[in-house]
Amino acid sequence: MKKYLFVFSTLLIFCSFTSEKSKSIPTGEKLIYAGSYNMSGLMTQLAQVTLSTDIVTTSKKSYLHLNCELETFSKWDRFFKIRDLYEAYVDPATLKPSLYKRSVDEGGWTKTEKYVFKNNIITSTVKRKNKPEKVATFSINPATQDVVSLMYKLRMLDVSKLKNGQSMGFRIVFDEEEIPVTVKMLGRESVHAGNLGEKECYKLSIGAKTDVLKGKDRNLIYLTSDSKKIPVLMKFSIPVGTGQLTLTSASGI
Amino acid sequence: MRTFLLILAISFTLLSVVFAALPMDTLAFAPILLALLFIFLAFKKSDVAQRKFPKRLFIIAYLCALIVLGKTFFIKDKVAVDTQFEQQKKNTKQDAKKDLEQLEKDLE
Repeated sequence: MKKYLFVFSTLLIFCSFTSEKSKSIPTGEKLIYAGSYNMSGLMTQLAQVTLSTDIVTTSKKSYLHLNCELETFSKWDRFFKIRDLYEAYVDPATLKPSLYKRSVDEGGWTKTEKYVFKNNIITSTVKRKNKPEKVATFSINPATQDVVSLMYKLRMLDVSKLKNGQSMGFRIVFDEEEIPVTVKMLGRESVHAGNLGEKECYKLSIGAKTDVLKGKDRNLIYLTSDSKKIPVLMKFSIPVGTGQLTLTSASGI
Repeated sequence: MRTFLLILAISFTLLSVVFAALPMDTLAFAPILLALLFIFLAFKKSDVAQRKFPKRLFIIAYLCALIVLGKTFFIKDKVAVDTQFEQQKKNTKQDAKKDLEQLEKDLE
């Protein structure tokens, strides 16, 4: 399940990938997805994933709060309840992260993570269920981001000029590790995008140097090929199966 | 052979009932289809006088299929209102604000 959620978050993160021209991330944006998992050849809807943005202000600065929530549908709660929360607090202009938080509750198994970004140094605080809190400090590449802020940063990048088969490289921090990630353009396809109707989308393949994602070009993200670059469909393949996230509702875009 | 088929038919019919009761969505069709297959084979292997039991199993499997179809089309997937999770979100945001203010002090 942990791998499944990693893929959920990673794909969501890359979902927001493209944009013909740089644009700021709108505050008050809310994207809702239905998460399905392939059980014995049949797609079964398990959870709702919500991506939202808002502004958080301290006495000195304002931060863009990027929020990603995963909740199992009520019919599953009795059997395997999931309540996951991924958050990034970033500079509204550059999307450079200052704080990344992750709170995972999957069928009673819990884990909380907090990464504080001080220039190229991360101080991480990790607490797993029934284990002592672990604090660590490690240095990162200057361009490395957390998965949530990278997702939004990708939306500001220009991928329209990428040719089929061409890739872009990124680095993310996840589970106290720095992971290289590639995003490859596979072309364009028309996809149903919830309340947005039928949309032409960029079809992108996500690759990560980790054993979490499986197969070549089997982890896909479809982003609308307009200026909003809304992630409308994500397909993933992991060691224990396949699944997808389908956009059901988009507001504040 | 008939006994063997009946055992399979009963097993998959019971599994169908369990899957239909659980929130398995269309996955419940897997045991239902297998149940229907073995019920049909058991029915064919049975004498006319022995066909009452497979017929009853067929009715159960058929009802399971109807229940699964009904749940698929008429029960909408939704998330529960979770006050504990909502409170957790508020708390984590407040904590984040404190962490950010501490970070600002450290970077000064």
